[in-house]
Amino acid sequence: MDRLISTLIRIVLAVGVSGVMFVVLNYLFSQATKRWRLFNVIVGAFIGLLYFGILDGNRLLGDVGPTLIFWPIIGAVAGGIVFGVLSEIEEPRLRFATAAGSMAAIGIIQGAAWRSDFLPSLDWGTAIAWTLITGVIFGALGLAIRQDFFRAGRWALIGLAIGWMLGAYGGADFGSGNRGESYLAAIIGLALVGVCLGMSKIPDNAGRIKINAGSRKYIFLAPALAFVVLGLLIPLARTIYLSLLTREEDGRFNDLVWNGLENYGFIFTNENSLDFSDWGNFFGSSLVWWGAGLLVLSLVVVLVQWLRSPDGRPRASGGSISPFVIAWFLIAMAVFATLRGTIINNLWWVFFVSIMATVLGLVIAVLADRTRMESVAKSLIFMPMAISFVGASIIWRYMYIARPPNKPQTGVFNSIWVGIGELSTTDSWTGILAIAVLIGVIAVLLLLAGISWRAKAKNMALSSLLGAGLVGYLFYRLIGPGIGGFKTRTILVDGQEVTQTIPDTILFLQNIPFNNLWLMIILIWIQTGFAMVIFSAAIKAVPGEFIEAAKVDGATETQIFWRVIIPQIATTIGVVVTTLIVLVMKVYDIVKVMTNGNFGTQVLASDMWQRAFTESNFGLGSALAVVLFISVLPIMFYNIRRMQKLET
Amino acid sequence: MTTTNSPPPTTPASSSTGGTSKAGDASKEKGVGKIVYNTMRSVPTWVLWILVILWTTPTIGLFVNSFRDRDMQRTSAFWTLFRGNFDGLTLNNYREIFGTEADGGFWDGIINSFAIAIPATVIPIAIAAFAAYAFAWIEFRGREWLFIITVSLLAIPNQVALIPLLQLFSNGAHVTLPGLDKTVTLVPDVGLVGTSNAVWLTHTAFAMPFAIFLLHNYLSSLPKDIFEAARIDGADHFTIFWRLVLPLSVPVLAAFAIFQFLWTYNDYLIAITMLGSAPSEWPATIKIATLSGEFGLKENVLTAGAFVQTVVPLAVFFSLQRYFVRGILAGAVKG
Amino acid sequence: MKSRKLWLILASLFSLALIAAACGSDDDSSSDTTTTAAPTDTAAPASTSMAPASTMAPTTTMAPTAQAPAVDWRSMDLSGTTVRVFGPESTEEEQGSMEDTLSVFAERTGINIEYAGARDFSDQINIQAQAGNPPDIAVFPQPGKAADFFRDELILPLPENIAAAAQANWPAAWNQFGITDGTQHSIPTKSDLKSLVWYLPARFEENGYVVPETWADFKALVTQMISDGNTPLCVGIESGPATGWTFTDWIEDLMLRFQPASFYDQWVNHEVPFDSPEVQEVWQEVLDLWNTEGAVFASGGSIASTPFGANGDPLVEGDCMMHRQASFFAAFMPDGTPYADGSEGAVDVFYFPSLNTTDRPALVAGTLVSAFRDAPEVWAVMEYMSTAEYANERQKSQQRRNGGSLSGFLSAAIGQDMDNYLPLEQSFINILATANVARFDASDLMPAAVGAGTFWTDGTSAVTGEKTVAEATADIEASWP
Repeated sequence: MDRLISTLIRIVLAVGVSGVMFVVLNYLFSQATKRWRLFNVIVGAFIGLLYFGILDGNRLLGDVGPTLIFWPIIGAVAGGIVFGVLSEIEEPRLRFATAAGSMAAIGIIQGAAWRSDFLPSLDWGTAIAWTLITGVIFGALGLAIRQDFFRAGRWALIGLAIGWMLGAYGGADFGSGNRGESYLAAIIGLALVGVCLGMSKIPDNAGRIKINAGSRKYIFLAPALAFVVLGLLIPLARTIYLSLLTREEDGRFNDLVWNGLENYGFIFTNENSLDFSDWGNFFGSSLVWWGAGLLVLSLVVVLVQWLRSPDGRPRASGGSISPFVIAWFLIAMAVFATLRGTIINNLWWVFFVSIMATVLGLVIAVLADRTRMESVAKSLIFMPMAISFVGASIIWRYMYIARPPNKPQTGVFNSIWVGIGELSTTDSWTGILAIAVLIGVIAVLLLLAGISWRAKAKNMALSSLLGAGLVGYLFYRLIGPGIGGFKTRTILVDGQEVTQTIPDTILFLQNIPFNNLWLMIILIWIQTGFAMVIFSAAIKAVPGEFIEAAKVDGATETQIFWRVIIPQIATTIGVVVTTLIVLVMKVYDIVKVMTNGNFGTQVLASDMWQRAFTESNFGLGSALAVVLFISVLPIMFYNIRRMQKLET
Repeated sequence: MTTTNSPPPTTPASSSTGGTSKAGDASKEKGVGKIVYNTMRSVPTWVLWILVILWTTPTIGLFVNSFRDRDMQRTSAFWTLFRGNFDGLTLNNYREIFGTEADGGFWDGIINSFAIAIPATVIPIAIAAFAAYAFAWIEFRGREWLFIITVSLLAIPNQVALIPLLQLFSNGAHVTLPGLDKTVTLVPDVGLVGTSNAVWLTHTAFAMPFAIFLLHNYLSSLPKDIFEAARIDGADHFTIFWRLVLPLSVPVLAAFAIFQFLWTYNDYLIAITMLGSAPSEWPATIKIATLSGEFGLKENVLTAGAFVQTVVPLAVFFSLQRYFVRGILAGAVKG
Repeated sequence: MKSRKLWLILASLFSLALIAAACGSDDDSSSDTTTTAAPTDTAAPASTSMAPASTMAPTTTMAPTAQAPAVDWRSMDLSGTTVRVFGPESTEEEQGSMEDTLSVFAERTGINIEYAGARDFSDQINIQAQAGNPPDIAVFPQPGKAADFFRDELILPLPENIAAAAQANWPAAWNQFGITDGTQHSIPTKSDLKSLVWYLPARFEENGYVVPETWADFKALVTQMISDGNTPLCVGIESGPATGWTFTDWIEDLMLRFQPASFYDQWVNHEVPFDSPEVQEVWQEVLDLWNTEGAVFASGGSIASTPFGANGDPLVEGDCMMHRQASFFAAFMPDGTPYADGSEGAVDVFYFPSLNTTDRPALVAGTLVSAFRDAPEVWAVMEYMSTAEYANERQKSQQRRNGGSLSGFLSAAIGQDMDNYLPLEQSFINILATANVARFDASDLMPAAVGAGTFWTDGTSAVTGEKTVAEATADIEASWP
């Protein structure tokens, strides 16, 4: 119970402090227009607090009272006073003198506060050299950017101040100096800052409004960007750097040595990551022939519709587009299945999972929208997302597992497969029942086709016919050559050859290359919930007026879907697709847990983990991470730009 | 079975129809035709429920197996239960999870999970909402590019950031100035490592790109008129954000909250990295995973663990789902 | 424009502050916890104390020659100190008995000992050590990794007195696993025996089979079982991220039999290429046996997709006659299986036979503990973990937590109380004691890129027939870092 309470307090504190900081900052800058002096005092106090806080945090200031609080408070008070005073002085010369003088006074405080056993002995050569060089660089930069000598001069001043601090303290030998040098080092640097401050003017009312308004983008962006820089950008830079290094010859990983681009060379020349040697089998894949057949079908449909269209122009329709899309989908799958390797696998994952999860998520979101028990259906689809991955991996192993033929199957898929095999080889009543059911289904479909044809619903009639054809094929296989998981073998029983029919299972996780597909299905199972939730939120946000208006115009549900809902959620589709592509590109745990990359299922992220964290080969691991990152960039870039254009 | 209640009665609402047919003809049909046609009209609902059943099957399998001992899980299929095979039914898997004594037991693990997941959900939402608002509605130079760069970082495999962040949390950040041989402490070691703070801070950083991406997409689609009206009334950005944007973006905030909570609550990798040798701070995921041991020794425990774990995210989903409100913009859009 | 100026000033002040802070303050984290610590008086970094270790010339003698100065922790008051131990053993039984055992010492000395077990220890310890956040003591299941860590100066050499205690508490052959370049850095704490075949004596008797004494007998027995219509072996090498390790165990066990121990050492140290004919011969031997029609029962449909832990049920149910697996396999047997008590369904083991009856090599595995922090309380715990008392306590606790059945724990420490062990476990220890050659699991000694990488994956490819023996061994050779 204590634990619960202390945890609650921690949570409230963490959330509360962050929220209060944000609100206070906003309030502070809104004071710039109304209470200019108060605003300046607070800003000055904050800068002083920060400056002395950092000095004290690095244990450069002597211990007075409670160590880490005393000097920052002094700094805050001093900073507040200086800024407060400066906010009221408009006369340029007085302002200049006050600024330089008061900053120098802060320098005196700093010099006096410096820890007595750590006094710097200045190296004047280094200090002056740094001051001048940095000043010139800043001045030149200022000139280049602002194109104005006065402003460039101010830049140069800032450069001088920074250069002095760098040179004086950086070149100093600590512990051997005296108090005088401590004063000098601090006063010169801060006085230079003061000079710079003194040259500025107090902003007029418009200027203050600008400060107020202009500050907001920083206040709104700063927290997010801080997290992004610390948590992502710096690690990314480090990763890019590491990817150019490798271990020493003796295999130690503490001291990495320069390796140029060789890690990348290894990735792209290694046949584990790219293997084109099997491309000759491409035309041996039945997927290609199915795809080619569908292509021809779509061409035929286009041709027929063209010939029969009243205005003599070709027109896209559901009947021609869907086989066309499916055809290319199948051919793409065949390409991925023939070319092997880690990188190809990754592309295959991205292609298949992103498309399937998006389409299924959208379909479910649309179908579930406004149905009764909507929330039940959505929760059940969402459920896989909520199940922790370790749990999901176990259940999918039980979905795919194969058992020896003489044992009952415990895997769902193999059980069904073997069950169908038994149906098609058995003579008992179950087989007859199956045949009867199939005949019934064919009859219903044919009937439906007839009715639809008479109702002039040609697409419906055609799809019913197609369905009847498919079931008919199944029927043929069942009564003819057989279908499902069985095989026949000839054994010797008492010296005589006997042909036996035994169940035959599929090793879903082991049969290359389609074991990849079975792994992808797991991710689709999980990620469809993701797509569905986001689409669902987006569809609900489509203004009801639009839909009502379309209905008044006599649009059907299908038309509303394509012409109202889809355009309204177009950018959301972009978000979902982009996110899924990235998410799938980074897929790692499914492969790691289910096959560990064996049987030709390795993907980049899992390979990266293995190299970097299991083998401590950080160079190669980082190079894999960079390849992963860069290969997604173009897709992301394209998607985001397109969305930005859609918005405007 | 349920039927869709929205399609107009004259629409053959099959997803495969072009929808241009005159369905009225069909509804005049008598007998079988009418029955078939009415069935076809509810095809979307049927498709939905078939998908739902497909999606639920693995979960049901997991659920059944969570009540069976290890040997039964291995040798007999879960659906044999429905055929009356009640062998090996046991509550031991659950008992093992709730009964663990290691490092404060399971309930401490759940509390730790909350200590991570709640800040890791609320804080990124707030921070990302600010940033998304700035990207969408505050004009400044380089906005588009800053946005692209931020969102591109979504593509970084998070694992590469684990070591740098762990270094930051365990030792602070120190920079050695080039050429001067002096080291500056930028961030002191404040003892974050081994606390849940380190974990949610990490989650917050990793969540930023996606959160900004998702929220920005929504915020930028809000109608421009409401902002202009507010500006004319003299509201500053903070007021607009607080009074207008937040209430209007409840659905998307709810959607993101669901995922962020789920990911952080179910996370294993970041938590074990940041809390490696502080087992008293371990969230439930690690507790359950470690219970199962190496080499799948006690994999049976994981089946029950998966369900115990799922309860909380599902509750979050249910409670936040009602914020997916239809027509939240209804008043804001005129035509 | 004005706002820009304001921010410039802020930014410059900020950077000024950073620069001004330039000082010798290094990343010594301990100075932050005590306010009196000054940057100049930081404790000597750990690396200086291990200087002698890396500069010593490699020696061929077994006894360590270069240790750190002795640490007399017995004369110190260690109460109130904390030692964090991190290891791979994480189930309720293992972790619980580990905690029980450590608490015995904790109560005696007042040291607060925290044990954390994670199942992905091997990867985690890499991350924690690289990020500068290691535990005080790590329990390594791989001596190769401990040696790597030692060469990288992440773990410390033992102080003289602790090394001496380890030498006294464990046989020299076991201590050797913790010695690199003549310096001992790790102490063995747990032993597993891998050269075992599990079987049901009653079923052997019923079919008239006798326990094979030699490898030739073993193969003859396999042939006989097949012709009798029995399936001789249960084999499964699937193990999630570690898939393939069971295959490597077979290879290693036969390598010890087909080749002299010196060759095994050369193989482990990459002094002979991985694709040398001797290695390929052993691979071929294993694969030929496994691929013999009717020789293998794979409960997951194929050898490569059968979880290695799923071989207990088929063995007990009679789907196969024998299963070669390590001493800890008892944990994977069906609940309530009786062991070596003469009953009908009792499971027993026999020694995985050698080429002849005089050679008795044993393939072993186990865990070693290594220290990351140089402190008396850490060395005190390290010493305790090497003692027979530790082994006794651990065995008692783990047996109790396993309901009095096989504990899964085994130790080769000197001077243990053998009464704590069940008869079957005593026979394991007996095999360990009578083995004339004992070698550690090779994949745990090889660099991780091979031992936890290609040896497993390419081995799996060879098992599925994806690669030939020549291709697989050549690929492993090429992957050696």
